[in-house]
Amino acid sequence: MKILFEFIVFPGFLFTAIAGMVFSWIDRKVTARVQWRQGPPIFQPLYDFVKLLIKETIVPASANSVIFLLAPLLAITSTTLASVILWKAIINPQSLFVGDLIVVIYLLAVTPIAVILGASASGNPIASLAASREMKLYLAYELPFIFSILVSVIKLHTIKLGEIILSQQSSGIILNSFSGVLAFVIFLLTIQAKLGLVPFDMAEAETEIAGGVFIEYSGVPLAIHKLNRIMLLFIIPVFAAVLFFGGNFLSIIAVLVLIILIRNTNPRVRIDQAIRFFWRTCLIFSVFAVVLATIGY
Amino acid sequence: MNTSENIKNKFGSKIKKFEEKNPRRFYVDISPSDIAAAAKTLFVELQLRFIIATGIDRRDGFEILYHFSEDKTGKVITLRVLITDKEKPEIDTISKIIKGAEWIEREMWELLGINFKGHPNLKHLLLRDDWPEKNYPLRQGEGEARKND
Amino acid sequence: MSASLKLKALTKSIWVFHAACSPCNNCDIEILDLLTPRYDVERFGIQLVGSVRHADALLVTGAVNKKIVDRLKRLYEQAPKPCVVVAVGNCACSEIMFRDSYNTCGPLDKIIPVNAYIPGCPPKPEAMIMGIVKLIKALRGEK
Repeated sequence: MKILFEFIVFPGFLFTAIAGMVFSWIDRKVTARVQWRQGPPIFQPLYDFVKLLIKETIVPASANSVIFLLAPLLAITSTTLASVILWKAIINPQSLFVGDLIVVIYLLAVTPIAVILGASASGNPIASLAASREMKLYLAYELPFIFSILVSVIKLHTIKLGEIILSQQSSGIILNSFSGVLAFVIFLLTIQAKLGLVPFDMAEAETEIAGGVFIEYSGVPLAIHKLNRIMLLFIIPVFAAVLFFGGNFLSIIAVLVLIILIRNTNPRVRIDQAIRFFWRTCLIFSVFAVVLATIGY
Repeated sequence: MNTSENIKNKFGSKIKKFEEKNPRRFYVDISPSDIAAAAKTLFVELQLRFIIATGIDRRDGFEILYHFSEDKTGKVITLRVLITDKEKPEIDTISKIIKGAEWIEREMWELLGINFKGHPNLKHLLLRDDWPEKNYPLRQGEGEARKND
Repeated sequence: MSASLKLKALTKSIWVFHAACSPCNNCDIEILDLLTPRYDVERFGIQLVGSVRHADALLVTGAVNKKIVDRLKRLYEQAPKPCVVVAVGNCACSEIMFRDSYNTCGPLDKIIPVNAYIPGCPPKPEAMIMGIVKLIKALRGEK
């Protein structure tokens, strides 16, 4: 009973959804202000979600309807689970198990896979093109992402999330060291790609490929996909705060502001430029950061 | 020597009329059977650039204008042909010499009904694919006009 | 849920798809004007989407010609209902000078059902915003 409450209400689905909608509104309002516009009112993400629920759901005739309709549910379940684990670690650092960091990494990796599955099952050639882009991008950014997480693990000699938070509270946050700063910068760049934001949103490009991975989705499945993206916008700054700042609440907002700034000042890059960037620059710097962390800097 | 003297020398007797509208605009009238050789002269030997072709349905026949441009001086030289047979208008295609003329000849065929002999791909370009046969909208007094409802 | 209630919930967040039936592009430029900081329709919740399956409103510009009429009907069927259709510009509303042409198919409301007309050649962005406000009021049932 308590597990169900934690999964659905707090800190699970309802809490993450509402917090995600607030973060998404902050993102849209700041973007609008940077462009000297007004921007939408505060309940706009909620209006969008409710409006998508009342539209009819169309499944294309050439689509595999089981995978097409189950892929969004898979994505949102794993994101909710990751959120539950992260918030339990912040609130009650002793209550989790060894290796929960690895579980969170795996759960965050389910979203791109579910998106690719759903797009490939829809039977649309544009969606398969966008799914191939998402696949290539995922293979490019996942390795620097894991290496930058490894820096925290190496410096604190632990792999439990709770102990990562407690050790940082006692011995100083990871960002105090040179390898910590480098790892944080790499982490920030890879989560732009993970969240599907400019400059790495070529899988969901609106103007270029007419909606990309979500081209055939409409109604309730599209609402679930959009809600998943909004929840990721909340969870991933929390993850960054746990790893690099020791669970500090103000740092969540700081990471969000950095993400919004990068989003508003860059154009979209091509897929081959993105792959070259991640495999060449990011990987070398993240390996260098791991080596520095092992030495002790 | 400048371009207009060049053209007069190369074409020789094929020119029916040479008109200089203003210092940068020349109209050269030739007969329809000479169009392939004339286009080759202008495009290959004199290295002029083909701009576009225009067709119109006149009372005494179909008139096609081929516009060529000399980019160095800004002159435009136009070849004018008059196809007098209005029942079965035909002319040689120049798309074998100038690849860029393919589509404009398709457009002239589907809207005016001029047959271009030797054209590789004479299909509909602007009108829909199941347009009725022999219905050429830009001819005088024809076209599938919509009845007022 | 009744149809009118669904239309009411639609009015707070309208996602627009731009279906251009080979217009002269003046109306398209003015539609894109609405998204610029001077007029900013995002504060009403209006967003431009790329796929017709995400659309709540179809903005149709241009006089519909015989080559595109089948595709336009298919686009209308692909948009998930409830969906409203707005005819933007004189060419879509009534075809003005193209009405006796060999290639046109009639004004837009003889092809798909239309909810709002915004005349003008091209309509000013202020006229388009007024059209949107009147459409939202009509959907909510106010006068």
